[in-house]
Amino acid sequence: MKLVIRMNGPWVEKYRPKTLDEVVGQDHTISRLKRYVKEGNMPNLMFTGPAGVGKTTTAIALAKEMLGEYWRQNFLELNASDARGIDTVRNDIKSFCRLKAVGSPFRIIFLDEVDNMTKDAQHALRREMEMYTKTSSFILSCNYSSKIIDPIQSRCAIFRFAPVKGHQIIRRLEFIAEAENLNITTSAIESIVYFAEGDLRRAVNILQASASMDEEITEESIHDVVSKAKPKDVRKIVNKALDGDFLSARELLREVMVVQGTSGEDMVTQIYQEVSRMALEDTIREDIYIKLIESIGETDYRIREGSNPRIQLEALLTKFLINAKAD
Amino acid sequence: MLWTEKYSPKSFDDVLGNVKIKDAIVEWTDEWLKGNTQKCMLIIGPPGTGKTTLAHLAANEFSEYIELNASDKRSYDILTNTIGEASASKSLYGEGLKLIILDEVDGIHGTEDRGGTRAINKIIKEGHHPLIMMANDPYSKRLKSLKPKCNTLVLRKVHTNSIVSLLKKICIKEGVEFEEHVVRNLAKRSNGDLRSAINDLEVIARGKNKITSEDLEFLSKKDDIVNIFDAVRTVLKSKNPRRIKDAMKVDAEPSFILELLAENIPREYEKVNELQKAYEMVSLADIYLGRAFNTRVYTYWKYTYELMSLGVALSKEETYRKFSRFTNSSIFSMLSKSRGKRDLKDRVAEKIGEKLHSSKKVVKEQFPYMEIMFQNNETAYDLAIYYGLTDEEVKLFRSRKIKIKKTKTKKPVPKEIKSTEGSDRIKSKTKKQTHSLAKVKNSLKEEKEILKSDNKPKERKKKRQDNKRSDTEKKSDNNDKDKSQTSLFSF
Repeated sequence: MKLVIRMNGPWVEKYRPKTLDEVVGQDHTISRLKRYVKEGNMPNLMFTGPAGVGKTTTAIALAKEMLGEYWRQNFLELNASDARGIDTVRNDIKSFCRLKAVGSPFRIIFLDEVDNMTKDAQHALRREMEMYTKTSSFILSCNYSSKIIDPIQSRCAIFRFAPVKGHQIIRRLEFIAEAENLNITTSAIESIVYFAEGDLRRAVNILQASASMDEEITEESIHDVVSKAKPKDVRKIVNKALDGDFLSARELLREVMVVQGTSGEDMVTQIYQEVSRMALEDTIREDIYIKLIESIGETDYRIREGSNPRIQLEALLTKFLINAKAD
Repeated sequence: MLWTEKYSPKSFDDVLGNVKIKDAIVEWTDEWLKGNTQKCMLIIGPPGTGKTTLAHLAANEFSEYIELNASDKRSYDILTNTIGEASASKSLYGEGLKLIILDEVDGIHGTEDRGGTRAINKIIKEGHHPLIMMANDPYSKRLKSLKPKCNTLVLRKVHTNSIVSLLKKICIKEGVEFEEHVVRNLAKRSNGDLRSAINDLEVIARGKNKITSEDLEFLSKKDDIVNIFDAVRTVLKSKNPRRIKDAMKVDAEPSFILELLAENIPREYEKVNELQKAYEMVSLADIYLGRAFNTRVYTYWKYTYELMSLGVALSKEETYRKFSRFTNSSIFSMLSKSRGKRDLKDRVAEKIGEKLHSSKKVVKEQFPYMEIMFQNNETAYDLAIYYGLTDEEVKLFRSRKIKIKKTKTKKPVPKEIKSTEGSDRIKSKTKKQTHSLAKVKNSLKEEKEILKSDNKPKERKKKRQDNKRSDTEKKSDNNDKDKSQTSLFSF
């Protein structure tokens, strides 16, 4: 009898492309990177683009092909946002770069989420990059290149990673579905693509989550997963504020953000979706709808500028304290 | 009701200390009521010595009174209107006399409140109205021109012994047991400020039946917070720039003050547009905090301070004459209550992040999907092993025990079942469950071909040790993990 249980691990890792050729989308970038591999040399690189489009995957695949058999020894992966302060980053980089590459032509340092580093830290990083040009190359990755100081940008070849196209996501999902022997409908795959918004990691996570729920994956299972994964209570928060009950709305917002740990960016997106849903269903007055959208957009922007996303969202809630509901 | 209100003197006889001043005020009031015009009264004294209490007691004697905050610009419109009204309806025999109480006259802003000073001078000059003014600082320049025109009374700090005896009285009435030295300490630390002594007592004694020296320690920690609350109160209650700036000189992180301000704005401001304006200021203040942090240019903080103090203060159309209970932000209690969970999340995110080449932030964004995946027993088991999560860490994603349904386990029960009850805790579970668990465990092991000697009874001890060591092993080897992870099933 066939055993049902397979040792799988997360599919995002299991089906992470191992080579540059396997990387989904980003054809333009990949062909240029392969030229570097051919030449056996590369400048400092910067990968920019939204989440889940293959920045990390490409960096690892590139390192493997560039450095050959001993890539693990000569590849350092650091997360700028987790590494406890710039000093740790610098020390790690220093001790790694001081040694000459063994078994590879040079060493590669992959620094993820550089846009989360402060300007000071970035300047420090710039010096490190200059100091070790002979022995090492850097790959930096970030979501927004605008948050990177100019001196670093000018020292890197910049590659922009676009959101993965729908048909490419479909192909990848079908590949996984076949390998995993999944029973999935075409419409289900299409609706994953809709919710993934060009983020392949999210697409694969939705797929694995729904596969863990249902034997047969249908459009409904996808909707089920997506709504379960949404931050809870956003509708309640919006409605309470529209009803004029600011204190309860604020308390619930805090609960969701502090206790459940939903990020400010997620919250603002959810609030946006909730308000635009209300507009579609005609439960909100048109003129007010536009005003709210403007406030939400402004908050989205301020969250990135400010220090505390929750304070910004609380301020947004005060904008909802108007008689907005359509009769 | 606050204890400071509950136990405030109800008649002049109840007032502690300052006998001469009491008499002076009683006499002053009586003369007015007899129809004899008196000089206006200026009561000077440090906070919490009873200025307002005395003024209110005097007010009880008059048919009408109006109380205004002198450092509040708007007061003067009211003031001039009132003067007009009152002088029109003034009676010779004291009836219809309107007592005017002006608080914080030393807080009058020189240039901005010029109109205000004029109004006061007008009342004094006309002398038709009984007027009591209060001030804190006897040496204030602003009082210089007023003093000669007034009956000036200076209140002293309340003597420690008087405070002690009052605190004891309150304790007895509230049914709170006390140690002599605790009450004495409270009185001393108040430094002659009776109100703060009663407030402190209320903080540590309300709802309890005993106060001890431990409570005092809590109070000393609370001091800083009390100061910040004063700043918050001033910003929300006043519109006077000088006073607000003074009050903002507290020793605290701007983000903390901002949090407390934001918390209390809706408790004070009643109109929606005031709330919106004030929160807009809070939002802008936060942006400058962000800019300061991102660029390390901390001189931006000054804009944060201006926006959150004056910006918020001037967002109100008028000052509210009401009692508001300002509270600490609910954020802090939420944070401390959820600390364990958040630490756990961080730990798990870090562990998973290593496997997924992702930062904690990116991993946490995937948590909702993982939560769904972990509802499935096989996937949960699989992922837990892959990420090297302990029992406790798995609980982050699912509250139920990991249990395999019988229908899904198609393998026959292996003979070694009994021996796989390696962990003590498994033994306490129901038999049915143990069996199904064991089945999965075994089938997994067979598939991975790591069965070997693990299932023999003699090896049980060794296995238990393995469990203990599992933490250190986890990092080193992934494939071997199911050996150390058998305890996964047991919560």
